Amino acid sequence: MDVDALLDATALVLVLIGALLCLIAAIGLLRLRDVPTRLHAATKPQVLGLMLICTAIALSLRSWEVVAFLVPVVLIQLATAPLSAHMVGRQAYRNGTIDERALVADELRESRETPPAAGG
Amino acid sequence: MSALMVVILVVFAAAALLTVIRIVIGPSILDRAIASDVLLTLVMCVLGAEMVINQHTRTLPVLLIIAAVGVFGSIAVARFVARRDNVP
Repeated sequence: MDVDALLDATALVLVLIGALLCLIAAIGLLRLRDVPTRLHAATKPQVLGLMLICTAIALSLRSWEVVAFLVPVVLIQLATAPLSAHMVGRQAYRNGTIDERALVADELRESRETPPAAGG
Repeated sequence: MSALMVVILVVFAAAALLTVIRIVIGPSILDRAIASDVLLTLVMCVLGAEMVINQHTRTLPVLLIIAAVGVFGSIAVARFVARRDNVP
């Protein structure tokens, strides 16, 4: 087995792992209970799955131009996935679509009851 | 190698189907926003997998554009969603 065939096989296995991450996220979206837990499931393929797929593309095509395209894709995704997750999670907290009893710590409510400026 | 490709495509299809089910039945608008975000990520992964399987680079700019502008959808939904939209 030469190097090219080995790299192609590795790329396909990486794509398979990324696809399985997408499937895990979809199952988590269906099975989990409220918005923050579903958000927890949803952010797995957004970062790790896409990084695996981009690694697979680079291994399969084997040229530096492709790598130069893929690095910004991964960096932009790393920068924007927490942004949207933060916005959705904050809105879910304000919206009341979370299971309040499942929270272990609720620092946002404590900080609302005693604002930092009040010296509490 | 062909069996592995079939497995990959079946897994992607199952994931997309489950995500669309969550978009349809999602109780609140935020659930639908999360699920559509996952569906967009799934589209990116499928484009990448297709590039790996068919050995071409034509859809690389599409990948970059989706990564750049895909975030605005869920941010816009989360920004302008009404408070307590699911209270009967």
